[in-house]
Amino acid sequence: MSDGISDKMSLADKLYRTKYEPDAAHPHIVVDQAICAQCKEKVCLVICPAEVYKADPNHPNQVTVSHENCLECGTCRKACPFDGIRWLYPEGGKGVKYRFG
Amino acid sequence: MINDEKVKVDAMVIGGGPAGLSAAYTMASAGLETIVIERGEYAGAKNVGGLLYGTVLNRMIPNFFEKAPIERCVARRELIFLGVGEHMRLSFGAEEWTRPPFNNTFIVHRSQFDRWFAQQVEGAGATLLEGTVAESLVYDGGGDERRVVGVRVRGGEEFFADIVILADGANALVTEQARKDLNLRSGRVKQDYAVGVKEIIALPRGRIEDRFNLESNEGAALDFFGVPFEGIIGGGFLYTARESLHLGFAARIETLARARLSPYEVMERFKAHPVVRSYIASGELLEYSAHMIPEGGYNAVGELTGPGVIIAGDAAGFVNMSLYKEGTNHAMESGRAAGETAIEAKRAGNFSRDALTAYETRIRKTVAWKDLRRFRRVPEVLENCPNLLSLYPRKVNRLLIDFFTVTEASKQENQRQAIRSFLRGLPKFRFVRDIIRARHLA
Repeated sequence: MSDGISDKMSLADKLYRTKYEPDAAHPHIVVDQAICAQCKEKVCLVICPAEVYKADPNHPNQVTVSHENCLECGTCRKACPFDGIRWLYPEGGKGVKYRFG
Repeated sequence: MINDEKVKVDAMVIGGGPAGLSAAYTMASAGLETIVIERGEYAGAKNVGGLLYGTVLNRMIPNFFEKAPIERCVARRELIFLGVGEHMRLSFGAEEWTRPPFNNTFIVHRSQFDRWFAQQVEGAGATLLEGTVAESLVYDGGGDERRVVGVRVRGGEEFFADIVILADGANALVTEQARKDLNLRSGRVKQDYAVGVKEIIALPRGRIEDRFNLESNEGAALDFFGVPFEGIIGGGFLYTARESLHLGFAARIETLARARLSPYEVMERFKAHPVVRSYIASGELLEYSAHMIPEGGYNAVGELTGPGVIIAGDAAGFVNMSLYKEGTNHAMESGRAAGETAIEAKRAGNFSRDALTAYETRIRKTVAWKDLRRFRRVPEVLENCPNLLSLYPRKVNRLLIDFFTVTEASKQENQRQAIRSFLRGLPKFRFVRDIIRARHLA
């Protein structure tokens, strides 16, 4: 492990330190791709602290969702101006599991 | 409580955070049959926080700090302005803060603290259903007759109760739906949210005490503003826990979106500042977390009661975003008021909207409400006077640096030059206006 918290750390490395109870079978976030297709700003791509949303490399103007990285803050829900994100709580006991919080 | 068909109790509480747990503690202690529904595997699993003001909890559980998992008491506070390469700070503390009741200010790991609080609530007689997701409220009647009679959890099971207390936090899906269903009046302004991002950074205990000049068990709470947060409305914090640091920032979501700045980027900027960098050097990241904070304050608080239902804590918008940054204590105060209202309603056998508005009357008498009212203009001041936390402190910082810059020039020449450059580019009229407005912040 690197000695340097002071060195720039990748987000993937940060998320790796956080504990999750993964639930691949029940994605708790679903985006409405029809809305995304019309959206130019795509605030979701910058606003999520876990970078759950990424531009879809295969489909221009669409976004991919890595729900398993979600920290469940809900910021995307408040930030999307078009209500394009259907965000539900993950199943009971699943998702992020803070040890310190 | 259980028969073949349905579960019916006195009170259902949605959310095992400080608001919901305080409500449950109050009701269970008075003998009300109470169930708390928590979606995390344990209470606190979804919660993030660091600074805890304990006045309300101390009323509920006297000397709680002797038993609760407290990391450190806050012996010193600092306000630190970060320039590009320079900084200045205001540091203050009191010996009295290191003795009970420790100025009612503590540093905690909320996951651990909330779990402890939940155990006390169970000890008081409430039932805690962890790992259970509340999906929606259950209603009886339609139109104006509509009233809340219970809670539906994921999977479809229904729990019935005379009263439901909504304490589902900042990301309040159930409360948001209930507000629509019951047509509850919104606040005067739309609720505004900040996102907080935090890292827990491990450091040996002794090193923390050396680095921050602390005795054992004493802690420091540092607030940061300035360059890393320029262009957004936000600020940073560092709290010393026993063997780790809480390092993070909170910023208004809308301003991050407008600046197209990612929380990750802001955090890295903050961590790269020389002052912060030396504080966290050689530390090891233990956890990365994010949470929303409702920061519209007083003016964003809407109607809080309906027939058979009360809203408390972050879900109600009870956060003071001034320099005090108080949320947990307000959550507890509102949860407690909700619990007391439920006890009264139970005694009178009346859970109608009219009966439960006693909650709002109760809330208005609390310190939490007085503080929310006192700081009601914080959001607008932060929005309208961006220079307060950037240009002005930067100028003052520069002035100090210039005064103490040692060159071949005479001190008099130096000082003249420093004052000239301080006044250059200072919008004088606006400066005076902003300084007057700054009184709303603290």
